[in-house]
Amino acid sequence: MLNLVEEIVLLMIDDEGSFIPVRDTAFDHSVAGAVLMDLAFANRIDTDSDRLTVIDSSPTGSAMLDSALSLIASSEETRSPSAWIAALATDEARPVRDMALDSLVERGILERSGAKFLWVFERLRHPIVDDREERAVKRRIAGVLLSDDIPDPRDAALICLADACGVLPAIFSVQEIEKARPRIEQLRKLDLIGREMSGAIEEIERSIIVAMSYMPH
Amino acid sequence: MELDEQRQDPLATVAVSGRVDGATAPVLEQRLKAVVERGDCNVLLDCAEMDYISSAGLRALLVGAKSCQQNGGRLVVCGLRPACKTVFEVSGFFSFIDCHDTRDDALLAAKARLAGE
Repeated sequence: MLNLVEEIVLLMIDDEGSFIPVRDTAFDHSVAGAVLMDLAFANRIDTDSDRLTVIDSSPTGSAMLDSALSLIASSEETRSPSAWIAALATDEARPVRDMALDSLVERGILERSGAKFLWVFERLRHPIVDDREERAVKRRIAGVLLSDDIPDPRDAALICLADACGVLPAIFSVQEIEKARPRIEQLRKLDLIGREMSGAIEEIERSIIVAMSYMPH
Repeated sequence: MELDEQRQDPLATVAVSGRVDGATAPVLEQRLKAVVERGDCNVLLDCAEMDYISSAGLRALLVGAKSCQQNGGRLVVCGLRPACKTVFEVSGFFSFIDCHDTRDDALLAAKARLAGE
């Protein structure tokens, strides 16, 4: 079974094996949020709106999670979930994303291929070679969005991540997303880490819009 | 955290006291699971003596509520203290779990609901 980091990275891969174009901040915060969610589901951390606490510092066995766990466990100050999301988005998101890609390649879900562009630079791509996991993840998302049933906490977290990093338009039509929006909003609130992550991304996007509005035309 | 289980028709009642956090939430989740597996899928969680609930506690409740629903029943809560009620509101839990002020209110509502089904 894939963890949430691997699932969200997999969803971000397009048909050509490149990442779907989204803002870096959204991607980095989503990966950071996914790391914390995975640690919470592994019973290593617990949160409320003010504090993120380590309840078990023993390694999970997943390198992409254990680096963050070690960082949090060794911190002398207690920080809020949003502070940890910001810290991990800055320092951990890219290495974690690369580890998730490695893991997906090792599992035979992606393959790694290099292509030269401008005759000199090599651009790595990761085309999907076994799409069963990708289809299963998309089916789970669709199943939860199209139902009124009480969701599994992990599925609610996945939908929150998919919405936050802007990958839903790559899965559903604009009309389908519009129709499912009330359900998405309902699910987004369920997971505290997801809520804080979405809030941080929205805050950054608002700041960018404000900054751009002050730029001379 | 302490759990006290009773049967008050038509609900299986679990009274929770103290803190429901990362250390204790798995115990609550297991207890709710055991209640449902026993055949009681209409469950009341009496939170009148619950001081605190963290994200792990909310997840345990959601898993319990889903399990009740999958077996044709419902998990309801009662007696939430203001601080815990705020946590439920902010998390949107009342979209999925009915909340009553008192245990008597919850029992009356359950009797009416089950009589109508």
